[in-house]
Amino acid sequence: MTQKIRKWVGNAVYFAIVFLLLMLFLSPFLWMVYCSFKTPIELSKLPVNWLKGLTLDNYNKVFVQQNFFKFIKNSLIVAGGSTIFGLILGLPAAFAIARHSMKKASMLILVSRMMPGITFLLPLYIMFRQIGIVDTYLSLILSHMLTGLPFIIWLMTPFFESIPKDLVEAAIVDGAGSMTAFLRVVLPLSVPGIVTASILSFTFSWNNFMFSIVLATNKTRTVPVAIYNFISYASIDWGGLMAAATVITIPILILAITTQRYVIRGMTAGAVKG
Amino acid sequence: MKKLCLLIVLVLLLASMTAAIAQDKPFAGQTIRVVLANHAWTDAVAPILSRFEEETGIKVEWESYGEEQLNQKLTTEFIAGKAGIDVFMTRPLQEGANMEMNGWYQDLKDYVSKDAEYDFEDFTEASRSAVTFNGTITAIPLVTEQEILYYRKDILEEKGIAVPTTMEELYAAAEALNDPDNDFYGFVARGQRSPLVTQLSAYIYSYGGDWFDRDTYTATLNTPETLAGIEMYSNLLRNFGPPGVLNMHWAQCIGIFNEKKVALYTDASSLYPNLLDPTKSDVADVTGCAVFPAGPEGSVSYDITAWGLAMYGESENKDAAWEFIRWATSRENSLYIQGEKAQQLARTSVWADPEGIKSFPADWAAAVAGTINAKSYDRPLITAVTEARDIIGGVVVTAIEGGDFEAVADEANAQFQSLLDLEK
Repeated sequence: MTQKIRKWVGNAVYFAIVFLLLMLFLSPFLWMVYCSFKTPIELSKLPVNWLKGLTLDNYNKVFVQQNFFKFIKNSLIVAGGSTIFGLILGLPAAFAIARHSMKKASMLILVSRMMPGITFLLPLYIMFRQIGIVDTYLSLILSHMLTGLPFIIWLMTPFFESIPKDLVEAAIVDGAGSMTAFLRVVLPLSVPGIVTASILSFTFSWNNFMFSIVLATNKTRTVPVAIYNFISYASIDWGGLMAAATVITIPILILAITTQRYVIRGMTAGAVKG
Repeated sequence: MKKLCLLIVLVLLLASMTAAIAQDKPFAGQTIRVVLANHAWTDAVAPILSRFEEETGIKVEWESYGEEQLNQKLTTEFIAGKAGIDVFMTRPLQEGANMEMNGWYQDLKDYVSKDAEYDFEDFTEASRSAVTFNGTITAIPLVTEQEILYYRKDILEEKGIAVPTTMEELYAAAEALNDPDNDFYGFVARGQRSPLVTQLSAYIYSYGGDWFDRDTYTATLNTPETLAGIEMYSNLLRNFGPPGVLNMHWAQCIGIFNEKKVALYTDASSLYPNLLDPTKSDVADVTGCAVFPAGPEGSVSYDITAWGLAMYGESENKDAAWEFIRWATSRENSLYIQGEKAQQLARTSVWADPEGIKSFPADWAAAVAGTINAKSYDRPLITAVTEARDIIGGVVVTAIEGGDFEAVADEANAQFQSLLDLEK
């Protein structure tokens, strides 16, 4: 009996803590979503009148007046492109580093991640302008790879190291070249790691502001830049801002929820081995 | 032979016709890149842009950014050199001195002088001096603003208090209206270190103070006059301000004013739609505006040119760029932008025209028109504006916290002087 009570109390405490933590992390998010449905005048009123002044106007501003579909498309192209190219270059690089223990090369790559991004901004801008790609997706994709690529390499190296050498050697004995062994044997075993690396690289690019503000123009403007359309001199459209913030969080949220199992596995795999 | 003659005549006719068309649209086929700030002025001009494109044949590539992002973007492109920008919006007080020193502005002197119809003299004297650096006209003044007093008509009436016209009256009114037990406060203004500097300026000017002597480049942050202004500002906030005032920028001040928790508020006139527009504010019908209260030197507010329209010094389409600036700031368009879209512009003829002020609330327009004795700057006019604002803001923050701000002011004055010494 006492054991039952103890178990019940334990559960209650457990859920209370979970609930508290959830409230702590979720309340700003829920508040943002709620505010995105309020009229500007109701937003500033205290105490909050929960059911008054609800409107879809803010979303009308986001999708009709500002055409966020275009910005979301731009962001998807840039984040998707930088992730795909990052994987194409990063996976073989990480594999080579893991196979041949190229510590110096990996340190060098890490250095580029340690430098603040703003250091690269001006040189990149000058270079991109000289080859005439400033207001194209390509310049954004390349600049975002600067943060994504080293990350992919660093996350995947320990992952590849954790795959038994024997497997690769067996494939080579069976007549596969090292490229075939990599493609046919190593990659299929590394899916969780690749998914983790992709999601994080995608998110970095999605949220990147500094490169996007300087390298993008109207044609290629991405969502973190576009969200500033709601902030102007001497006036801030809080409702529109909240609606836009909600809209740009959704793709990342969907991505995170659908793939979270992989993320956790990938993280821990890297962590234990690394 | 006859046929040949006819052909020649036809060809000549055609040629003259195309020439006439070309004469009509001398810029046909040209494209200019215009980079602007997210601003109500930008929103007002965007819908009529097609008229300009039709009239001149110039195609306008139009971009707008948040104000700090705009500065970042412009600076990066300009540093890299030969930026493909033709026209841009600029803040003369914030980055004017710096950009002028870097040669990023095209001097517009020749452009404005060769065009009598444009009438540059029509712009207010304060706004013209604001955009002129070392004799260079760096930009055409766009929007102006002054510091004014916002107050709650209903609360003042209820307590039988007249609208404050002097600093003493302001202090007494804030004291009488302050009721922290009921979560109601007498006064609010910016308390955040750097943002507060611009709204502090009218206080120190009205007490006879200033940031520095512009002839000798001597810092004057610790003179009795400047200290008196700082003391009044910080006493109002410390004694009658809402809690957390040190974290307040204008957005927070507006927020608490709209929550009906405060009676008096001094800030920029450009913020009025946030308080007086019934779709944005719950206190729109009970908010009044008045001229900034007078100190020993009278009411000395600022009358600044917050934004100007500039031409990039290395623009490759200077004539087309000027054509755009001329069009956007012409008397005709200014009348439209101010009269219909309620933007506070700098042309005196527009202010004198009843059509030009028809969209403004009456007491707001009166408060702005009553701001006569004003300085054309609300922060020290030097290249290191950001650092200077930080130094000055530090003194006020100490004062609001109740610390020994006079000692801090001496230190700040020395730091500020070393900034000035670099620019002499």
